[in-house]
Amino acid sequence: MSLTGMGPAETRQSAPASPTARSMWRASRMAILLGLLVVAAAVVTVALGGGAAPSRRLDPDDTSLDGSRALAQLLRARGVSVDRADSVTRARELAKGGDRLLLVTDTSFVLDPAGVAAIPGDRVVVGDLYRLDLLAPGVRSSAQVGQRSREPECPLPAARAAGSAFMGGAAFTVPRGATGCYPAGDDGWTLVSLPNAGGTTTVVGDGAFMTNRRLAEDGNAALALDLLGTAKAVTWLVEPPEEDTVAGPAGQSVYDLMPPGVPWAVAMAAVAVLVTGLWRGRRLGPVVTERLPVVVRAAETVEGRGRLYRARRARGRAADVLRAGAIDRLLPRLGLAPDAGRDEVVAAVAARTGHAPGQVGAALYGPEPADDAGLVALAHYLDSIERTVGEH
Amino acid sequence: MALTGRAALVAALGVVVVLVAPRPGSALAGVCLVLAAAILVDLALAGSVRPLRFHRSGETLVRLGQRATVELVVENPGSRRVRGVLRDAWPPSAGASPRVMRLDVPPGERRRLTVTLTPTRRGDRESVAVTVRSVGPLGLAARQGRHRSPWAVRVLPPFLSRKHLPARLARLRELEGRHPALVRGQGTEFDSLREYVVGDDVRSIDWRATARRHDVVVRTWRPERDRRVLIVLDTGRTSAGRVGEAPIPLAGAPADGGGPGSGRGARPVPGWPRLDWSMDAALLLSALAARAGDRVDFLAHDRAVRAWVSGASRTELLSSLVNAMAPIEAELVEADSRGMVSAILARAKRRCLVVLLTDLNAAALDEGLMPVLPQLSSRHLVLVAAVSDPRVADMAARKGTAEEVYDAAAAERTRLDRRRITARLRRHGVEVVDAPPDDIAPALADAYLALKAAGRL
Repeated sequence: MSLTGMGPAETRQSAPASPTARSMWRASRMAILLGLLVVAAAVVTVALGGGAAPSRRLDPDDTSLDGSRALAQLLRARGVSVDRADSVTRARELAKGGDRLLLVTDTSFVLDPAGVAAIPGDRVVVGDLYRLDLLAPGVRSSAQVGQRSREPECPLPAARAAGSAFMGGAAFTVPRGATGCYPAGDDGWTLVSLPNAGGTTTVVGDGAFMTNRRLAEDGNAALALDLLGTAKAVTWLVEPPEEDTVAGPAGQSVYDLMPPGVPWAVAMAAVAVLVTGLWRGRRLGPVVTERLPVVVRAAETVEGRGRLYRARRARGRAADVLRAGAIDRLLPRLGLAPDAGRDEVVAAVAARTGHAPGQVGAALYGPEPADDAGLVALAHYLDSIERTVGEH
Repeated sequence: MALTGRAALVAALGVVVVLVAPRPGSALAGVCLVLAAAILVDLALAGSVRPLRFHRSGETLVRLGQRATVELVVENPGSRRVRGVLRDAWPPSAGASPRVMRLDVPPGERRRLTVTLTPTRRGDRESVAVTVRSVGPLGLAARQGRHRSPWAVRVLPPFLSRKHLPARLARLRELEGRHPALVRGQGTEFDSLREYVVGDDVRSIDWRATARRHDVVVRTWRPERDRRVLIVLDTGRTSAGRVGEAPIPLAGAPADGGGPGSGRGARPVPGWPRLDWSMDAALLLSALAARAGDRVDFLAHDRAVRAWVSGASRTELLSSLVNAMAPIEAELVEADSRGMVSAILARAKRRCLVVLLTDLNAAALDEGLMPVLPQLSSRHLVLVAAVSDPRVADMAARKGTAEEVYDAAAAERTRLDRRRITARLRRHGVEVVDAPPDDIAPALADAYLALKAAGRL
């Protein structure tokens, strides 16, 4: 009666299962083709579009949406020459020609704000700039307000001619002798015009209305042209281009101090990491999966019921079940029928154990225990009754 | 293709070379070119994997808990030596070892490798793939390829209750007329007449034959033979529940976990499914019944017939049973008792003992078996055998704290339901065997012997 009829079974034929080079090429050629197309499209786009320089806000040479080349072109078309100045020195030199307006959109790069303030002639200041107190004495920013189309509500000719414009940003207080336009409720005015030593200083809350994006809206172009076109020429003060390298005290960067082989060694290390990755990443054969049978303990439902009893403190139910179980086991030992009455059972148990019938009756058919200690005591008492009945 | 650790080492040494070289740019290019060239040469000179041929031999059947060895012969018909490693991939529960083997086959020769399987569960295990990595002469790169070399090993139920068989066979021999005085009973078959010897039951004296022979003659009796036993295995959801402690560690099961009685908080071992315990009991019963001269059929059913063994000869019965049982897994569906009963009735034309191995789950039986039980019990003798959960008994016995008393109440509730369903089954004339996992097989065998002694088959 052997269970396993063992014996050397016959051999079977093996077959190669890994793909050949040809089948791999067939399977992946569409993907490779698509990848090449994507790369080619990217290269063409970059080559045609040219390197997109980072946009410089309110720069007269910038064609991006935040630039202001459109405004500069309009000014030139009206015979106003626009000169880009990336340093205060250059702006001061230009100012020597006379009848010139200075447009200041940023002073964060200026080491000498007083030097800017000293340049004579008309002046337009855009935004709540650093050292605004020097550029436009008496004008202080009172609040930040939202940008939207605002009405001029002032007698300034440029504003009246332009009508509503996209104003906002900073709102300013208006000092004595100055004119405020485009009010932002009670917060202040978003355009302030005040006289200075050699002309007029105009402060606007934000330059958005001068950008390529907004210039065509509302009366933005008219306002910008009226503000900037008062003189024959405009000096447009812009941020100087950033220096690429920071030279050390001896004029040497950290790269100059390295031995010449280090960058190449880093490249070689990258190759070594790649080779190591290829070595470790190649798996010897497939990952084998398997359907495993479910692991569920049969007692889980019982344990769950026990936890439910515990969570609800279901002493009544627990006691009923314990009593029913005890009576179920006691009946055959006492020689009683399964449908024996309550009094009959109590009497039989009392007679067999010698306990008082009242005590036995309370244990077997009494009310539910008042607390957990009572339940434990009941369980122990039922056990002792069962033991005593079993012994006799 | 695959690279080796040596290639990575060479690349790492290249970093040093580039660092100290007078012209690092050229050194980088040189190192990379040399490495690439060496890898290409290595790949070109490595033994080809694709033409390799594999032949397998070895065991196809193994009992759970035992080891099987499968031999793999690698034949190299190519012209270059194949040197490297080989992995014979099997499913995790096949317990294949070693995982990776060294391989060195000269051209035109063959080498034999041996894989040892230590399965951790029943069922069919098939080899998935043989992967060979053939390293080139420089040891920098390797060709890698995969082959299918099919081989299946069937893991049979372990039949652990075999140890109970000799005792039950001795009991059977007692029944078989060697001690006629003990077995004289209602319903047993008349065997032969023989002379009276002192000690025989006087009630068995055949007076008519005595009158003819002028000698006191007694009748002898023997138990019935050639009865039919149909073992029905319920493979529905209730058979998936795990009870007791697994005699053979399961795949993924903690081997060192405490048993169900090892205290609160300890994670109990998942145990063995009821299905496996039932199979064990079924095997002991069939071995015993086959010795007793009865015919044994086997049916596994949940919502459809999963296995059916009929008409196996006495010598082949056990092997065909374990073969039929091996791939059966518990299905997570409610068993269709109506379909099961009609399957039984369609297969068992003559009266037989139907041994139904299921669980005494009150809810499942109320909706499933109870309504159709009369159909079955009117034509056949029905014996329901169920594996009880020792964890429930353990919970019912612990009453130290209030929490434990609540658990004990829940366990008591389950046992009460079980006793009630048992009583209802007995009222239908159904025999019930309800025993913990370790005792179910001998208890079922004893119930069978008792029925046989009483001549009720």
